[in-house]
Amino acid sequence: MSMIHDFGRRFKLTRRDLLARAFNGLGLLGLGDLLASDASAADQSLNPLAVRPPHHQSKAKRCIFVFMAGGASQLETFEYKPNLEKYAGQAMPKMSNLKGELAGKSNFPYVVFPTRFGFGQHGQSGRYICDLFPHLAKCVDDLAFVHGIKIDNNNHGPATLHMNTGSIFPGNPSVGSWVNYGLGTSNQDMPGYVVIQDPRGAPMNGADVWGNGFLPASYQGTLFRSEGSPVINLRRPAGMSREQQRLEFDLLNRLNTQHAAARQETNDLEARISAYELAYRMQMEAPEVVDLSRETAATRQLYGLDNTTTAGFGRQCLLARRMAEQGVRFTLLVHGVENKKYSWDDHGDIGGKMPRHAGEVDRPIAGLLKDLKQRGMLRDTLVVWASEMGRTPFMNNIPPSKTPGRDHNQYALVMWMAGGGVKAGATAGETDEFGLRAVGESIPVHDVHATILHLMGLEDDRLRYFHAGRWRQLTNLGGNVLQDIVA
Amino acid sequence: MRIAGYLLVLLLPTVAGRADSPVDSRTASKVPVSSHWSYQSPLQQAVPQVHNSVWPTGVLDSFILQRLERHDLPPAEPADRRTWLRRVYLDVIGLPPTSSQIDAFVNDPSPVAPQRVVDRLLAHPGYGERWARFWLDLARYSDTVGYEGDPEVYFAWRYRDYVIDAFNLDKPFNLFITQQLAGDEMPDVLSPARLPIPDPEGIVATTFLRLAPFTEPRGDKTRHEMLSEMTSTVGSVFLGITLGCAQCHDHKYDEISTKDFYRMKAFFATVALPAPLPDDIYQIGQSLPAPFYRHGQEQRIRGLKKKIHREIEVAEKSKNEARVKTLKNVLLRLRPMAYALTHSLGPPFGPGVPASHVMVRGEYDNLGERVWPGFPVALTGHQLPAEIRLDPYGRWPTRGRRLALAKWIADPDNPLAARVLVNRLWQHHFGRGIAATPSDFGNLGSEPTHPELLDWLARRFVEKRWSIKSLQRLMLVSTTYRQTSRRTHAKAQEADTENHLLWKFRRRRLEGEAIRDSILHVSGRLNRDLGGLPVFPPLPDDLAERQKVMGEIRWETSTGPESRKRSIYIFQRRSLNMPLLDAFDAQVVSDSCAQRRNSVTALQSLSMYNGPLVNTELPYLVERVRAEAGSGGAEQVQCAFRLVLGRSPTSSEQDQALDLFAASQPRSAGLAGLCRVLLNTNEFIYVD
Repeated sequence: MSMIHDFGRRFKLTRRDLLARAFNGLGLLGLGDLLASDASAADQSLNPLAVRPPHHQSKAKRCIFVFMAGGASQLETFEYKPNLEKYAGQAMPKMSNLKGELAGKSNFPYVVFPTRFGFGQHGQSGRYICDLFPHLAKCVDDLAFVHGIKIDNNNHGPATLHMNTGSIFPGNPSVGSWVNYGLGTSNQDMPGYVVIQDPRGAPMNGADVWGNGFLPASYQGTLFRSEGSPVINLRRPAGMSREQQRLEFDLLNRLNTQHAAARQETNDLEARISAYELAYRMQMEAPEVVDLSRETAATRQLYGLDNTTTAGFGRQCLLARRMAEQGVRFTLLVHGVENKKYSWDDHGDIGGKMPRHAGEVDRPIAGLLKDLKQRGMLRDTLVVWASEMGRTPFMNNIPPSKTPGRDHNQYALVMWMAGGGVKAGATAGETDEFGLRAVGESIPVHDVHATILHLMGLEDDRLRYFHAGRWRQLTNLGGNVLQDIVA
Repeated sequence: MRIAGYLLVLLLPTVAGRADSPVDSRTASKVPVSSHWSYQSPLQQAVPQVHNSVWPTGVLDSFILQRLERHDLPPAEPADRRTWLRRVYLDVIGLPPTSSQIDAFVNDPSPVAPQRVVDRLLAHPGYGERWARFWLDLARYSDTVGYEGDPEVYFAWRYRDYVIDAFNLDKPFNLFITQQLAGDEMPDVLSPARLPIPDPEGIVATTFLRLAPFTEPRGDKTRHEMLSEMTSTVGSVFLGITLGCAQCHDHKYDEISTKDFYRMKAFFATVALPAPLPDDIYQIGQSLPAPFYRHGQEQRIRGLKKKIHREIEVAEKSKNEARVKTLKNVLLRLRPMAYALTHSLGPPFGPGVPASHVMVRGEYDNLGERVWPGFPVALTGHQLPAEIRLDPYGRWPTRGRRLALAKWIADPDNPLAARVLVNRLWQHHFGRGIAATPSDFGNLGSEPTHPELLDWLARRFVEKRWSIKSLQRLMLVSTTYRQTSRRTHAKAQEADTENHLLWKFRRRRLEGEAIRDSILHVSGRLNRDLGGLPVFPPLPDDLAERQKVMGEIRWETSTGPESRKRSIYIFQRRSLNMPLLDAFDAQVVSDSCAQRRNSVTALQSLSMYNGPLVNTELPYLVERVRAEAGSGGAEQVQCAFRLVLGRSPTSSEQDQALDLFAASQPRSAGLAGLCRVLLNTNEFIYVD
């Protein structure tokens, strides 16, 4: 670490000297003020990621958003519908008043399809959790569930964007971008918004899922990889020593400083000089953050790193805790690839595939919750688990296939939240006896987003950005906080 | 003046119909035309009187100077000749001048030397390659459709080349508009028996309308979303009207009603998206035949195809499946097709003209009032349906709607089209539009700082046959453009901090594309081939490897000369931005982008310092320096500065560089280090 500080000090002295010479007797304008004040204060004025106060006091200081790509079935996870047994194998009763893509299905004789997995009651709340999640079941009293969430599109691409950006169209800022835009981030040696995707590949829509949309680029998610170099281009060019790079950065900073000294209104030039400083620090810091070798055997086991099935997502979850410790404001974990094999998109053989998906995430995600809790971090970390859509209570195929699966269902997404500010054990929303859609009013995604912002200390209606002729916000025209699950 | 456009259409010897509308012109209600500034015709402006009669080079300067004099602010000194030359090179062709070009210009005593430079650069093929980019941003150009699987649009690149050609050939902007909106509808129907075959260029041009991200079609809803997107994009790109805001409710700030939106959308009601091609597994809709029309292109492509077939044989023999797949993909791109659209055929071959309705709250299945194609009431002052010039033989009632829209937009009397474009060009040359919101000339948009100048430029633009180059020449040779960006008058700084009145030049950062192209230019390895297939430069780390999904190759990495073509040719994949370009805000767009962001991030530093481009080119740059300067340290420093920055180092810079040489381990790392540093300097990536 000392080397970093040495470098910083040397750099500042050099710059100050040069400027003093360049501006001798001329009366310093902007630059002089910048230099006269504390360096961190100067950073504040230039840095879009400088910490900003929340709109209201909140428990959650950071968020870990865990996204299951492909449409995780509510009926094989957290939606207990014993009634399905009653209708098993029968034609689905008439589904009236369905709009959009699912409406076309209402006229066909789809066959009701109860889950083949058991459900058991857990924790003090006695909630039903599918037997595929034995580890998570032990954390059930920390979770608050939301049922019957409605997505605006029944295709993966738009639905994934809807859950992650509030809009089914590409080009809109993701939740993490809005949160960083609202709050900034505390560790200036690390990005404020980190994404760790499935080591097997990218989700649908790729970088649009964590894009900054129309917000400035500083707010986009930085893709960290769970293996190899954690950030693209983070490694020094082959054969270059750290010492050599320091020499070069020194010269670069001198040249840039001389260049700025001959010019005025140099905020952008100065910001670029400090960007090289951050890049240099990130080269040191980021590999350390992703180096899991110093975690204890117990911790590694807790996240399932000792098992080939759980190791992939286990690393992602453990990295998320490391990010949280480092003060990263928002971490997005994606499980699943836009590839039938690794996606939760179980149109067929849901009985064979669900144990695999669940087996990959159950221990790691439970490990993350337990680990955060034992470190006292769960109280100020918001953990969100979601997918982009639910699935149908009827079989995907007509006639029924031997290895049946479920079709997309934009009316019955289930999700849970835990940690900072969440009312543990609470529930919002309810679905009908089939788990097809909400009873009464369904819960729009905008309400989920308004709730996340609220828990992070932000008010949906105040977190706005002017773009393309109007004020934009995460929830488009506004959302309601789900008070049922807010402590 | 608003009548004139109609008269033009009416005078033509054709059958003009009002699309079976029951609305009668005698009973149609008259609505007052809005008084909003941008909806008024540009006024004839007198040349402004100024005190300092020496400063202005042209009328444009007088408009600028008049405002400065009114506020008693002095304009800035002219930039030195080297700075101006670098500015104009980067601005017009996106590449810096070489040091010999700089020397030649600096030593050219001719008073018309700047004009000669400007003319030469505007005629340079690199001009189209640079300026097409801003249009592709507006056109939300991409080589893939985004969403699930992010499938490729094999023929989008032909539209990219069409745009490059349009700029290089100085295609009149009114024709450019018409081709993109209705290239397929331009030729007249001359026989009752069959439809005329539009020229291939016109077909390729309509790709513009189809470039939005597109997901698996799911019936009426998808169609509604697609046509609504077209309507909104046409509104903001050509008219500076944020029509999209009126899709679900009346515009909250502008006098645009939901009905206006759906009347505009009705121009697209007969758009046909024919069934997909057999290869088109993602069902993104058909492409249309469009023979290769550029001179010699067909022949070149025939040759290229032969070569690829041979390569496929070789790859098949060596069982290199990935290579075979890549090469077959290239063959798909080389079919004489365009990702274009056309109108449906109409009975008896297709559906007739569908009835258009307001869709309440923007919901596709919530039909409201019936509407007919028409223009925004705030502009025309009436609710009459537009005149649509129908086929005189009555066979193709679905044809001609988009042409009617294009003609109205490109009409000399349309108050918006010319103003909006002129303002966009101004924004790119001067760093900020005369109106600062280039795609929003509505009430929430920013008012023009120099409304008279905007009017004058717009009128002149139309008078000079909508010539973009002629307008740019005017801006580039102006005294306003020649001002320095460096010195600040304390008084001006205080009175007009944001430099709205242009009392100096606005320094700005180069776009990602220009940064990449400049690096290749400086290393001497830029491939200057014009046009053609998309290219796939290497990606850092294992990014390309990780893109592979189900064995599908999504980034056909090439390290050959084609990977060093200009950045405009880089494959635009919506789900994968090249890290270097991405970091510098040159992202693959999904919706129309009028203004790039201008961010400063550590990721820029990482990609410029550690990334593959700089470090691949570095040895070549070093070799250039060695070849020109020999082995002497001082000579090498001199040469490196001249090659990269186009100037000699100051004596202190020279000393600092030599210090680096002395401290570097091994010593040979010093020169490479200096070159890498120079490519990373602010001086290299800023236009001063």
